[in-house]
Amino acid sequence: MSAPLGNPATDFLVLRDVRTHFDMGRTFWSRTSKGVVKAVDGVSLVIRKGEVLGLVGESGCGKSTLSRTIMQLIRPTSGEIWLEGEELSAISDKDIRHTRMNFQMIFQDPYASLNPRMTVMDTLAEAIRTRHPDLRGDEMRGRIAELLRTVGLNPAQMKRYPHEFSGGQRQRIAIARALAPEPRLIIADEPVSALDVSIQSQILNLLKRLVREMGLTMIFISHDLSVVGYVADRIAVMYLGHIVELGSAEAIVERPLHSYTKALMSAIPLPDPRAERQRSRIILHGDLPSPLNPPQGCVFAPRSPVTHDEWMKTHAPPFEEILPDHWAANCPFCVAKPA
Amino acid sequence: MALLDVSGLTTHFHTRNGVVRAVDGVSFTVDRGETLGIVGESGSGKSVTCYSLLRLIPEPPGRIEGGTAMFDGQDLLQMTPAQLRSVRGKRISMIFQDPMTSLNPYLRISTQLVEALQSHGDIDDRTALNKAIAALEEVGIPEASRRVRSYPHEFSGGMRQRVMIAMALITDPDLLIADEPTTALDVTVQAQILEIIRQRQEKLGTAVILVTHDLGVVAGTCDKVNVMYAGRIMESGTTEQVFYEARHPYTRALQKTIPSLQKKGQKLFTIPGLPPDLARPISGCAFYPRCPYPKLTGPDADTPLLRDLGNGHCHADCHSCDSSAPIESVLPQELETDDLVPAGSDAV
Repeated sequence: MSAPLGNPATDFLVLRDVRTHFDMGRTFWSRTSKGVVKAVDGVSLVIRKGEVLGLVGESGCGKSTLSRTIMQLIRPTSGEIWLEGEELSAISDKDIRHTRMNFQMIFQDPYASLNPRMTVMDTLAEAIRTRHPDLRGDEMRGRIAELLRTVGLNPAQMKRYPHEFSGGQRQRIAIARALAPEPRLIIADEPVSALDVSIQSQILNLLKRLVREMGLTMIFISHDLSVVGYVADRIAVMYLGHIVELGSAEAIVERPLHSYTKALMSAIPLPDPRAERQRSRIILHGDLPSPLNPPQGCVFAPRSPVTHDEWMKTHAPPFEEILPDHWAANCPFCVAKPA
Repeated sequence: MALLDVSGLTTHFHTRNGVVRAVDGVSFTVDRGETLGIVGESGSGKSVTCYSLLRLIPEPPGRIEGGTAMFDGQDLLQMTPAQLRSVRGKRISMIFQDPMTSLNPYLRISTQLVEALQSHGDIDDRTALNKAIAALEEVGIPEASRRVRSYPHEFSGGMRQRVMIAMALITDPDLLIADEPTTALDVTVQAQILEIIRQRQEKLGTAVILVTHDLGVVAGTCDKVNVMYAGRIMESGTTEQVFYEARHPYTRALQKTIPSLQKKGQKLFTIPGLPPDLARPISGCAFYPRCPYPKLTGPDADTPLLRDLGNGHCHADCHSCDSSAPIESVLPQELETDDLVPAGSDAV
């Protein structure tokens, strides 16, 4: 098997060779395209019910595009996305809004994602009505109060506007809104990156508790491997539109196979001066290559500390299960074969 | 004598909602060749401290209310505008968080680097340009002689931050103030940028003040650390002292909230509540309402003073809480249930 294909009928969420490309358009005089950005380029993934899948990578690696593609906010160029036996990528634009109550999203910036002119109550009521269109009055208020209590806010504050809350509290409101339509899948796109460390840990604990208590499945996107390592059960590492490694959080953090994952891990500063002084750091050279003109073969070849041969520069490595439940793009120069 | 000796620096903002005590009596020193880290959450006054040193605070509403900042024998806070101009960019340089807003988008990199040189010395165009190219090469910009003709938008975020570093160091300053220089960058690029700052510092003997919210960045790069909260220094000392022998409850709590790679599986420690509103006067320890240690008394009437333990390790000496108690045992399960509602705000 060359990729974790999964069974769309039985598995919770299945992505099959998903590609999301953006055409840069044409110049005025020329009939040729300026190029195509391959933001997501052949991602196959199976997400199990009840798990937290962490998605990590540098900015520009395609992790946000992938999450928006799963949300069907951007339609994939090709490939299939199946949620609980239903092919999302085949649902028409008209019907997708209704289906979306099953999968909701939490965005990075709680200052931008809430409507400043709507009270918390209105925001949540609108979201609840997607599933319960007839809920009114005391029943609705009761449901809103329950949601607010779930995310650790005081129900007495439901008539307030977003600007009356702090960043951490707003992110709680955004989480409550995502929970309101009773979704089965939550995609959290950098939910704590905009928050201070002391607030960050509160939100991470809340998300973990919600997944456990409400039986949710979550895709947790972050550029910070230490945050993902804490929250996620499994981690997928993305680079230039491809998943280069997938495995249990423990395996990815402690025994990474791919040299990109190793470099990413070694770049995280540890809050421990002695350990910092002793560790050897792999410093990658240069920036992420342009997705407009990605490398032909192994995507990591131009930045890898190991020089690749001509074959690997022109032939994409297969995504293979190298150890049980631990997958990687099997490039002989990037992946050290375990003994 | 220390290169920079800040004593009792106080910066307030006079807003319609009252006086915001952004920096409230901050003292520290920086020696030549040394790296001082200033850590704290947003609103703790770490950036305002740096801006105050270079007098970059918008006045009004801001005002430096008191204190001294002796830089090589001269008080930065008493300088005339002309004196300040000769210090800024020449002897003290600054790197800002967002390189896109601090570079002029209309001017080529060459123009901006040459301007930095020519405004501080009599130097002809050709020599200045060659120096600019050399400076870009030193921060690792490939094909510097060609890229020097580029505009800022032609560079990536990491490359722009390199240009900022090149520009800040081109005049061989004695002190470099870096305000969250890597916060907008990816970890891999962050590692590159911190490495460049470290190399340049080793070569030129520049003192560095590194402002960050990331304790990991501090651990890897700084000699000394100031931990700031609500405009005050809560604890200061060498990096080792602050990380391994932390005295102040805030420092200890902050360290426990980091989802570091070591502790996995267990629930993250959280500091309950929110940072205080700086527009209201704070009596006693600013951290008192959120302090996870058992409270012995009510908050002190006076601001706790920084007490030196004898080896340069100082901490705000607060006696309202029992910081000798183990931190885990005093945090009951109920406190962890994300109860974030600030006291007194329950009324609708």
